Amino acid sequence: MSKNKRQPHIGGARQQAGAPKSVSATAARKGASNLPAKAKRRLHLPLLPIPLITFVLLWAWIALWHGDEFRMIRENSFFAFDSTLMDFELGKQNGLLWTIGRGLLTTFRTPWIGGLLLSFLLTASCWMLGYVLRLKGWLRSLQYLPLAIFTGIFTYQGINNWFEAESGHVMGFPLIIFAVLALASLVVRFAFHKPAPAIICLPKDETPRHNRLQLYAVLLVLAAPMYFGQKERPYVRPLAQMQVGVMEQDWQRVIDVAHDNDELSNRPMTAYYAMALVQSGQIGDRLFDIRIDYDSIYAFGLNQTFNNTNMYLMESDFHAGLVETSYHHAMESMAIEGPTLRNLKVMCKAAILRSEWEMADKYLTILDKVPFEGDFVRRYRPMLRDRKKVDADPEFALIRKLEPMHDTFENYLVLPVFLGYNAALTEGRSQAALLNALMVSIYTKSIPGIMARLEPLVGTTPPSSVMEVIALLSGRENGLKNAFPSTEMYMSRLANFIDETRQYVTTPEERAKHARELFPRYKGYYPFYYFFGNLKSTRKVPKDANSSAGVN
Amino acid sequence: MKHPLLLILLALLLGSCGKTAVLPTQFTEVKEQANIYPDYRDVVIPANIAPLNFQVRDAEADEYVVQIAPGTSENDAILVAADADGIVQIDTLAWRNLLEQQRGKSLNVRVFAHRPAGWIAYKAHTLTVAEDIDPYLSYRLIEPGFEIYRQLGLYQRNLTNWDVHTIYENNRVYEEENNHCINCHNYQNYSTKEMLFHVRANHGGTIVVNNGKAQKIQIKADSILAAGVYPSWHPNHRWVAFSTNKTSQTFHIYHDEKIEVIDEASDLLFYDADKNEVRNILRTRDDFETFPCWTPKGDVLYYCSAHLPQVGILPDSLKGPGVIARYDSVHYNLMRMSFDEKTQQFGQPEMVINAQAQKKSISVPRISPDGRYILYTLGDYGQFHIWHKSSDLWVKDLQTDSCYALTAANSSDVDSYHSWSSNGRWIVFSSRRMDGNYTRPHIAYFDKQGHAHKAFCLPQEDPRHNILLLKSYNVPELTRDAVRISAEQLRDCIYDTEPTTATYKN
Repeated sequence: MSKNKRQPHIGGARQQAGAPKSVSATAARKGASNLPAKAKRRLHLPLLPIPLITFVLLWAWIALWHGDEFRMIRENSFFAFDSTLMDFELGKQNGLLWTIGRGLLTTFRTPWIGGLLLSFLLTASCWMLGYVLRLKGWLRSLQYLPLAIFTGIFTYQGINNWFEAESGHVMGFPLIIFAVLALASLVVRFAFHKPAPAIICLPKDETPRHNRLQLYAVLLVLAAPMYFGQKERPYVRPLAQMQVGVMEQDWQRVIDVAHDNDELSNRPMTAYYAMALVQSGQIGDRLFDIRIDYDSIYAFGLNQTFNNTNMYLMESDFHAGLVETSYHHAMESMAIEGPTLRNLKVMCKAAILRSEWEMADKYLTILDKVPFEGDFVRRYRPMLRDRKKVDADPEFALIRKLEPMHDTFENYLVLPVFLGYNAALTEGRSQAALLNALMVSIYTKSIPGIMARLEPLVGTTPPSSVMEVIALLSGRENGLKNAFPSTEMYMSRLANFIDETRQYVTTPEERAKHARELFPRYKGYYPFYYFFGNLKSTRKVPKDANSSAGVN
Repeated sequence: MKHPLLLILLALLLGSCGKTAVLPTQFTEVKEQANIYPDYRDVVIPANIAPLNFQVRDAEADEYVVQIAPGTSENDAILVAADADGIVQIDTLAWRNLLEQQRGKSLNVRVFAHRPAGWIAYKAHTLTVAEDIDPYLSYRLIEPGFEIYRQLGLYQRNLTNWDVHTIYENNRVYEEENNHCINCHNYQNYSTKEMLFHVRANHGGTIVVNNGKAQKIQIKADSILAAGVYPSWHPNHRWVAFSTNKTSQTFHIYHDEKIEVIDEASDLLFYDADKNEVRNILRTRDDFETFPCWTPKGDVLYYCSAHLPQVGILPDSLKGPGVIARYDSVHYNLMRMSFDEKTQQFGQPEMVINAQAQKKSISVPRISPDGRYILYTLGDYGQFHIWHKSSDLWVKDLQTDSCYALTAANSSDVDSYHSWSSNGRWIVFSSRRMDGNYTRPHIAYFDKQGHAHKAFCLPQEDPRHNILLLKSYNVPELTRDAVRISAEQLRDCIYDTEPTTATYKN
């Protein structure tokens, strides 16, 4: 076929001879006037610049739909222009490539900027694949294979994209694909002198049908993973949103996301929600507004055990006042994964709170070498050697109130990991610390624990969840009614609740079976949680005895 | 710098360097010495040490000139210029010549800083040039925390320049089946002809290297407590005294010291590397013996011991909690036993320093090469002083029987895990003085009168290395020669050979 031989002008676009014979032959044979009405409508559809549309849609897919996930990947990554700092990565196989990938990832400080870059890499890779393989007609839809692979794997991996994962892969693989295809394209262009198809202007070598087919292919590779994500990994986006909220200390956002997804239940989301409630002074009223039953999530970490407590342990301990324990977990995270923005920031903040100024200075100096981390450094550097500034910081001020009163060893901390390890706390620097300990007892349904911690509240008006607990326990603990006289309203509601749910509490299996359907009706109500929530977590065991692994 | 591409990239980003230094002609003298990092002011240094590069910290200054002159003379002085970042990097060749020329004498270091109002000259500090130090320093790099380890390695630094040789590194990438720890590297008589280190977890064993040939040994038997831990080579034979420890650690939740490492039990072992035989030296229930160390003649074995009958009687599962419950009242004394090379028999234990009586605790005794001094760490309690802020270096002069702290070398933070140079004039030890957490090797001159001088941090080509490195230097050990086996050979031995179990001999 001669590339200069022009076909009749169809549908407002000029079609080259490269178009499939079937369409041009049909048009030629029957003539435009003889086409059925349906076919006419199709043929009059304008041609669209699919690569450009792909670029824009993908940009939105990355920045709007998955923006917080990419931010968390960045937060669980580390990159600096310093070989000492990057030695942990450069020494790995293909370390330089993953280091560059990490460098590119830093642009996700603003997902729109990072998204622009990633969208460009992927869109250009698709276009170049089509060019290198000289895909024509309907086959051109196959050029979006790299995009399909990326969106598919990214969505399938979900939390594993940033939980103890090699963060350099996220930008490193698209980069290597881009580089290989760019090289191949240059060879094709200069060795074989093949013309390149349109990328940002209207395509001249496509039929409307094939043009649309490409559009549908692009929509499919973007929408199908979204559907899969919503169906199979519905917790991924909310979890990332909550983690970003914790990182930015936007507690209201964390709470809002939890409420918007109140039927999703997993340990990380509950942990972040509890952190936000403590920080905003709502732990006594709103803890049970979300379903707490801990569905399993697809997050396996380095040891492939699906034990995802490491995902939130350092933040959970930090915001529960266990600053040293938080530092311990952050340091272990660094030992296992290498430095990340997340563990460095926690260690920096812990060092500031513990007045370890040289340490904090070290971490700030390192963070200052990470592109786009200036805000963090500017916020915390003035606090060095200035206790007044530290105490004036709202986050630190609350954590100070929650710090332990006495030293002990982690061995003596008691599980579960909820609001740190405060299940055994009996003394606190503040009412907030005691309330946290009470809420852990309430959460663990430990009646002796609850009774031991109610005493400081006598004569006050406790938060609503605590009042519901008091009402619940009044039947078996006679003194409670006298100590907290305003329980009448709560007693009355409790009676109704027991009447309504009597039929479901016959056996643990029955309770588990009906817990989910009853949740919308009783969410936020402690007696419901007591009978139908968190059915597996009442077990209390001491934390593992002191480990004998590597002494450093 | 392992990656030339990154090096080029960094060079491009950093722009031009090599600023020409011109001594200011007009300046104001100030009474204070310059604030420099690391603190190299008024220290005694080996004649063969690499340049003491440093960073000047002056918030007002935008450039610096440093003059390093022999004595008060300006002849043969080295001039170095630095930008606003204050990084002073001294030409290695000029430095080496100057130090060679000034053996036994002093260097005068003067820092000039350019502030908006003009140049100022800080009060000069001195560097006194003393004897050479053994040129090789071995150490382990590992994150200072905590119970979990991942990537770590043993390295050897040439102290006369910036060269770092990897003795052995474990796997860089997490691999469940290959993850392992390495620790307790040790040499015989400051030579790498005989060396050993342990591999823990996967591929475990003790790697014994004899003249460049590695062998993996399993020091384990029903009659001994656990595997060999802290080693000490006998000076004349291929014999090693090990402690065998059941060690664990626990974490403070509100304390300046982050970790407490405890022994639930410990004994001493004697290992004959030629025969691959092991036996107990001391196997006791109520005494916890650890950190053995031979004298240079090999006729006495020093060690530390704590008497804990209240723990010894407990069942094994309760020993750990038993020690933790009284962790701050566990005190180790310095002990010794005579040793007959011919019969390989030990004498009765003798008390050398009763630290318990002073409510103190001793660890890591190391005998000077001339046999006169015992260098040890004294802390308030326990044996793992690298996590005790109270720990300081002390010596016992065996001629005068006096004990004293090496005050000039010590700091307010942790100073522990020390070793001597082969000429006895230098000690190198781990210190957390720079930031309270990451240990860095410090070197101090130990003069003929038995006094240590102010310690200085291991020099680095870029002084910011000490800030940017997120690992601790463990167990600094000096040797006269470089390690004779490659990392690949060690890797083959560790990965591909099954350990030979030592025979237990009563």
